[in-house]
Amino acid sequence: MPSPTCRPASGCLSSPHENRALPSLNLIGQSLLAGLFTGGLYALLGLGLSLTWGLLRVINLANFALAFLGAYLTYQLATAFRLDPILTLVVIVPGFFVVGIGLELGFLRFKINELTSLIVTFGLTVILESLIQWIWTADFRRLEWPYTRVSLRIGTLFVGLTGLLAFGAAALLTLGTWAWLRWSYLGKAARASAQDGPMAGAFGVNRRRLALLLAGLSAAYAAVAGLFIALNHTLAPSQIYSWIGVVFAAVIIGRLGNALGLLAASVFIAASEALTMAVTAPGWAPLVSFTLLIVILLLRPEL
Amino acid sequence: MLEVEHLEVAHGDAVAVWDVSLSVRPRDLVTVVGPNGAGKTTLINAIAGLQPIRSGTVRLDGGDLASVPAHELCRHGIALVPEGRRLFPAMTVEENLEIGCYAPPARRLRGQSLERVYATFPILRERRRQLAGSLSGGQQQMVAIGRALMACPRLLLLDEPSLGLAPQIVDQVFAVVAGIHADGVAVLLVEQNVVQAFAIAARGYVLEQGRVVAEGAPSQLAQDARIREAYLGQQ
Repeated sequence: MPSPTCRPASGCLSSPHENRALPSLNLIGQSLLAGLFTGGLYALLGLGLSLTWGLLRVINLANFALAFLGAYLTYQLATAFRLDPILTLVVIVPGFFVVGIGLELGFLRFKINELTSLIVTFGLTVILESLIQWIWTADFRRLEWPYTRVSLRIGTLFVGLTGLLAFGAAALLTLGTWAWLRWSYLGKAARASAQDGPMAGAFGVNRRRLALLLAGLSAAYAAVAGLFIALNHTLAPSQIYSWIGVVFAAVIIGRLGNALGLLAASVFIAASEALTMAVTAPGWAPLVSFTLLIVILLLRPEL
Repeated sequence: MLEVEHLEVAHGDAVAVWDVSLSVRPRDLVTVVGPNGAGKTTLINAIAGLQPIRSGTVRLDGGDLASVPAHELCRHGIALVPEGRRLFPAMTVEENLEIGCYAPPARRLRGQSLERVYATFPILRERRRQLAGSLSGGQQQMVAIGRALMACPRLLLLDEPSLGLAPQIVDQVFAVVAGIHADGVAVLLVEQNVVQAFAIAARGYVLEQGRVVAEGAPSQLAQDARIREAYLGQQ
């Protein structure tokens, strides 16, 4: 679907259309659909960031690089071993869970705070990008698999199968995470620890173990995001950075640590971007997420 | 049950508690009084494992607590109502109470502990879906006490539970503390409200500048001319 030159956000539906003033109903529907699917990817990428930022006070930029590492690993396993891309998760997800725990052990060891986490994980991102470039080169890679080009036709709309799967996975994981944080004892302990760690500890919460679990989960979510990036987009190492801004906006608008808010914000932003591209030109899309972020922060500064 | 011997606690280089020894027997209600900055909060936080000990020992039922990680202290039957309440403000009243029974032994008794807390503080049952941060000061203090009770403690540590509350709420808090004690829980109560603390305590310690300067039965302490003048406002 997207060409290397167009930003992942787009879905690039806005073909050089004739009727710029009034897009057809079909184009609007198709744009909203693209927004839904791209929003799913934003949410998958943002989930780990939102959890570690909201609950552990670690702003993990490396989450994006990890997702791309996951995407390349999926690509590699699928092309080299003819392994179904979705099945690669069986290997990659547990591996990333362990990587997430390892990272958090390092953060705890060096008593990393919010600001230093941003700096350290930026460094990690650059290192991971170089690693990816070294192994897979800077060439564009496209994962071809029987179902990557399948579209279902519903009425006059075309629904890409992999986009639909991405949104399904995002909905499942964000809902599951939200419910877990809301209703389980561990989830409540995680929220309590974020608000007053020593007091949560005084009532028996093992904060260290909980932090490791959350960091492992966040990295595992990055692996899932990586799978759907590989299925829906062309891969290049430098593309790691193109997702950061818009996903940050979604994480903040959705409220830190709020998985359901993240999903809603992601879909809202992506749909707004897609509509903007349909009505105006693709170049205007990036303006949308940040305008939304600024407006929402002005209206609700307590975020 | 609680034996504190020659305890010394410091914030960095500033020593806040010097050579303090005190004991709480089972079913005892002991109070520690003293002026602001005397080290009362430091003392109670050190017992609760929130503050590292520099020297001396804290023993519970003969076992040294120094080697016990903070998050396992509550399994030994200690629960804290900290200074300033320290609730989880963005969580509901009931969620705050549930953190109180997070440790597995107390978690099994969740249902009956909740009933007991709601029976003691009926207003909390009405407010149980409300965020703790949105409650009044008195109600927040009730949540803080309720949260500690959810841990089914044998020893309850209370740090100035009357601070900043309206007089009739203060009376209610002291009545509740006396009731908890009557149910067989040992209580260590740190207070500035000396009159009311002495009224319910079996034994008292006076802490000044990090040292114990007097101890004994409240009736005896109240005889001391200096204590009468400094804490009871009597000549």
